[in-house]
Amino acid sequence: MDHILIAVALVLVAAGATVAVATRDPARQSLVLAVLGVLLAVLFTVLQAPDVALSQLAVGSALTPLLLLLTVRKVRRRGQREGDDE
Amino acid sequence: MNGWILAATLTLGTGLAAALWGVATGPLRRRVVAQNLSTAVACPGLLLLAQGYDRPSYVDLALVLALLGPVGTLVFARLLGDELAENPPRARIATGAAAGFGAVVVLALCVVTGPGRATAKLLVTGALLIGGNLLASRALAGPAGAGKGSGAPWTTS
Repeated sequence: MDHILIAVALVLVAAGATVAVATRDPARQSLVLAVLGVLLAVLFTVLQAPDVALSQLAVGSALTPLLLLLTVRKVRRRGQREGDDE
Repeated sequence: MNGWILAATLTLGTGLAAALWGVATGPLRRRVVAQNLSTAVACPGLLLLAQGYDRPSYVDLALVLALLGPVGTLVFARLLGDELAENPPRARIATGAAAGFGAVVVLALCVVTGPGRATAKLLVTGALLIGGNLLASRALAGPAGAGKGSGAPWTTS
């Protein structure tokens, strides 16, 4: 039973990581990354590493998307401003 | 090995696969809802795992996820608000189903655990999960959809 659970978590993480790489738009990619963080936390829990899963949850579910989206917004604004200047 | 782990496998396997599919395809509104639902599915799954492994300290994981998952969704609602405002997401049925599933899991675990501090912790986790999810989905629906109850500064931009 445990092996099946580990296999399911591993397959889900592999699929999620592949989707994250294949997504081109950074905003949509950050959504996939948030789900991937939850998937990784589940994988760590299944592998009996709840401490790692705890930090993965804290970083992956809120901080990574926040940083990515703030960066995307700043880059877009700078691009618009330079476009207006020229 | 035991029924709890079987239930956790089914929950995490089907629920997170569906969330991953939803977040990978379709328009932006559907992706945001799927991200919100991934939290709502993973949290009961982690609770079932804690019961299946017979380790009450694993409940902390579900507690942290119930606290931080809606925060992540609120980040998306705030920073993607411009794109979502044109086409606001509505997923009452899915959100309600996920919240009901979380409530069922929490109540079942409470019955098994029996009265005590562990039960109080489970109830707090369940309340945070359901409340956070409803708040996040309301914030996603935007100021127009939030209407009456939106005291949240996230929804106004």
